[in-house]
Amino acid sequence: MEVTAAVPWWVWPIALAAVGFLIGVVAVLAGIGGGVLFVPIVGSFFPFHLDFVRGAGLLFALAGTLAAGPQLLRSGMASLRLVMPLGLAGSICSVAGAIVGLGMNADLLQTLLGALVISIAVVIWRTRSSEGGIVDPDSLARLLKLEGEFRDPAAGTRIDWKTHRTLWGFVAFGAIGFLGGVFGLGAGFANVPALNLLMAAPLKVAVGSSALIISIINSSAAWVYIHRGAVLPLLVVPAILGVMLGSRLGARLLAIVPAHVVRWLVIAAMLAAGTRALLRGTGLWI
Amino acid sequence: MQATYARWLDVATRAGFAISLLAFLVYVSGLVEPFVPLEQLPQLWTLPAARFVEVTGEPTGWGWLGMLGYADFLNLAAVALFGVVTLVCYARIVPLLFAEGERLQACIALAQVLVLAAAAAGFFTGGR
Repeated sequence: MEVTAAVPWWVWPIALAAVGFLIGVVAVLAGIGGGVLFVPIVGSFFPFHLDFVRGAGLLFALAGTLAAGPQLLRSGMASLRLVMPLGLAGSICSVAGAIVGLGMNADLLQTLLGALVISIAVVIWRTRSSEGGIVDPDSLARLLKLEGEFRDPAAGTRIDWKTHRTLWGFVAFGAIGFLGGVFGLGAGFANVPALNLLMAAPLKVAVGSSALIISIINSSAAWVYIHRGAVLPLLVVPAILGVMLGSRLGARLLAIVPAHVVRWLVIAAMLAAGTRALLRGTGLWI
Repeated sequence: MQATYARWLDVATRAGFAISLLAFLVYVSGLVEPFVPLEQLPQLWTLPAARFVEVTGEPTGWGWLGMLGYADFLNLAAVALFGVVTLVCYARIVPLLFAEGERLQACIALAQVLVLAAAAAGFFTGGR
């Protein structure tokens, strides 16, 4: 720590902005939330305590999804009707997760984070998407009117979608919110499969609605970190500015970079950061 | 309702980014003195948040509202705006949903407003 303390303070915000920029590029190309890369990478390779990294990670994911929200809602890729009940379950559980996370030992958290990130990398590797389709909605889905219409200009198609397994959806988003609060993640990696594979929302609606759910879940958890003094603006703002610029470049590169290359890049980055977190948490490589 | 939410989200988020950037420039330029000097942060940010608060004497909960004369707390207030955006957007659509006769959706939105307001008020963190 003496070595890092000898580095001038201004080096770290610049480094964070650079990391935020790279994550922004990759996250857009890979279709994942940036928080799942931000927390393990910054937590493993930067000198900040994990409390501040998680606080920054929540706000990092929050700012990114808030910025994307208006366009996603206008295009119909995000459905507020679908998001509202699931976001409510997730945000209540995320507060509980944030309180639990801030009370946990840092080494244990680092170890669990490492294990979680490696597991997520495996999930991303193994997961296949579903285009959704005609499902028979359950009574809860009918009551909540979890249905809509999505026009996909790229494919020139119109999808009338409905969802099912609503109760399991609530359970899934409760668990996702809790984990997001504990580890300071946006948890988009889990939202999309829960909406798409579990509840049968079309893939693009799942991706768009996932971003909006992150903005709701992280809003409540972020307050726990703010109130406990676990948010350092010097870490948060450069990362946010970096990811905003990176996301713009990522959106431009989307048309020319092969998706499978990016996917493997993300898996490799997550495996490296997850392994580093595991080794740091267990004391094998401080 | 969705269009209204999108419009409010757009305006509130743009304002949040602009204010955060401005407050950050004030912070790092040294125009306004911070409560914790920037040069001391590398020795302090390796500590757990609870220990950081203890060592620096920073307030927790809403105590920072009384410290907005310091650049770091001014910046924290700007960052905290991101935590208010969703609350504001939900609060806007609650009356719209009631007016449209969507009572169940309106109650869910109202519950979300209460959860976010309670989290922001520090209700879940014992008001610290």
